[in-house]
Parts: sequence; C-alpha cells; structure tokens
Amino acid sequence: MLNLIWVIMIFSGVVTGLLMGRTKEISDAVLASCVDSVQVVITMLGAMCLWSGIMRVAEKAGLVNKLAKLLKGVFRFLFPGLPKDHPANGAIAVSISADFLGLGSAATPLGIMAMKELSKVNNNSPVASNDMVMFGVINAVCIQMIPSTILIIRQQAGAVDPSSIMPTVWISSIMSTLAGIFAAKILEKRQMFFR
Amino acid sequence: MIDFISKFSVPGVIFFIVVIGYLKKVPVFDAFVEGAKEGASAAFEVLPVMVGILTAVSLINASGLIDILTSLVKGPLSLLGVPAEIVPILLIRPFSGSASLGLFTQQIKLFGADTYLGRTLSTIMGSSETVLYTLPVYFGAANVKDTRHAVAASLIASYTGMLVSIYICKFI
Repeated sequence: MLNLIWVIMIFSGVVTGLLMGRTKEISDAVLASCVDSVQVVITMLGAMCLWSGIMRVAEKAGLVNKLAKLLKGVFRFLFPGLPKDHPANGAIAVSISADFLGLGSAATPLGIMAMKELSKVNNNSPVASNDMVMFGVINAVCIQMIPSTILIIRQQAGAVDPSSIMPTVWISSIMSTLAGIFAAKILEKRQMFFR
Repeated sequence: MIDFISKFSVPGVIFFIVVIGYLKKVPVFDAFVEGAKEGASAAFEVLPVMVGILTAVSLINASGLIDILTSLVKGPLSLLGVPAEIVPILLIRPFSGSASLGLFTQQIKLFGADTYLGRTLSTIMGSSETVLYTLPVYFGAANVKDTRHAVAASLIASYTGMLVSIYICKFI
C-alpha cells in the first residue's frame, strides 16, 4: 500500500503543480526536501545514540524487564504472537512509555529499535506480522499525556489557559487508539483488500 | 506543574536510569556506548526512507493540491458538522508534521486560541500523529516491504480521533 500511496503523492503533486503554474515551486521543494531529510536524520542520529545507549543501561539494570512485566496483560492481548521472554517485550514497553511521557526525542528511536526486535521475532521477513502492524498502528496514533509543543503555541497565541484543551486531547487520543486497535484486529483477518 | 514535568522529563529519566544502573553495578558508560553504536547505524538506515517520504510530501505541499482538495470536500464534510476552516488540517495532518504545525500556528492566531475553532484545532494537533511519516520510517528501518493493513488501520484511527475532536469541542 505504501508503494501505491507514494506514486499517488508524486503523481498528483507534479500534475497539480504543472496545472497551477507552480513548476518552480515544486522543483525547489524537491531539492529542499533532500536537504531537510539529511537534517532530520542528523538530528535524529544524536537522539538515536543517546536513547539506545540509555536503554542499554536500563536493560542491564533490569529496569526494562520490570516495565515489561507490568504491561504483561495488555501485551498478551495486543501482541499475541510475541514469545513471553523475548527482548521485544521490553523494547515495546519502553517505546510506548516514552510516547506516553512525551519524550519526543526518544519516541522515534525507541520505536524503531522495538520494531527491529519485532522483526526478529518474525524471522526478518519482508512481510509484516500482525504484531508488527499492531505496534505500527499504536505508534501512528498519538498516546501522549502532555502535548507540550501545542501548549507552547497556544500560549503564544494568547490562550487564557493553554492547558484547557487537555481533557479533549485525552478523550480524542483514547478514542483514536481504541479505533486503531480494533481496526488492526479486524483487518488482520481480511487483509486481502487492504494490501 | 505541567510545565515543570514536560521540561524535566528528559533529564529526569536519564538521571533515574543511570543512577539505578550504577547502584546495580552495571558498567554504565560501557553499556551506554555499546547501545549508542547500535542506534547510530539504525539512524543511517532511515535516511533513504526519509528522502523518499519528504520528497513526496514536499511536492504535495508546494503544488497547491491541498487548496484544491479543500474546496472539493468542504461541502460534503459540512454535512457531517465539520467546519470548513478545519478541513485543510484534516487533509494535511496525516502526511506532514511540519506543514500541519505551520498551518496550525497561523490558524490559531487568526481564530483565537480560546474559540471553538482554536480549541478544536489544538485538540486535533495534540491527539494525532503524522501517520504517513511514522509508518514508513518504522517499517523501513525493519526492512519490511509489505506493511499489510497498517496504513488502513492507522488512517481509520487517525480520522476517528479527529472527528471525535471536532464533536467533543462543541460540548467541552
């Protein structure tokens, strides 16, 4: 499906740009995006080193295992294909906790590490397992306690109480997470249509 | 309080883990470097995926496609109670984090942070992710070619959350 989406994005972007007479804009944008990608990855490179290093310390101190035990019940429902004592359990637990705590710089690196662990359980197959899709979906919805960037922008825009949106943010996050979990559980049985 | 938590969370977590590790007699610095090496190679593997995604996204943003799509779907969506001002964010949010954040910053100043539109936009931004960035990066790093139903399920989740935001802000 990503192949199809990519083609659609490139096709519609270029054709629209042409028809709207924005040839120069789209051509500048493509070149700029290459520079942007390198910048994003360089920024991430540091965060990636930092958090995978810190996590290795946490792992050796037995902290990751404790966290994974805490979430055991939830994991059995979400990731039924995961062997009980596989390191992937800990990696997922840590990654979801970082998301939840809003450790922005840590969330992506830890998520990538966890996805790699899940891929090992799946024998590094090029086809995603149900557990990998579930983990991807959970990361693609936002489970964040405090959306700090948004609060700062609200403050700058003159909000009387920037954090007044917290209850609605939490309710929406919970609803979208539930919808994602159910959608993944239902679609995994009839995957034919959605490839 | 919230401000303190969000500022202190990163150094706090690092402090907690390193101190506990040291007390448990883990060779903390050696373990850190060992883990960090793995992190460095994983980050480089993400670069090609990143170039692919950001190129496609930048084309969409620069082409003016979002404006055209907005004028096409705002009529039908208004029947569902979706205000026309919210439509551009709905369209761009799953694709581009930076573009949606930029649009959000503009719009919230225009509509006011405490109005219905301002609160709805804030709720949408605070409770959703850039789906078509997160998924390719995660699956790309794990060398997965066939992501199966991941995109469909994530988009269903994302739009459920956004619709909930639009409705719930009318009452709260």
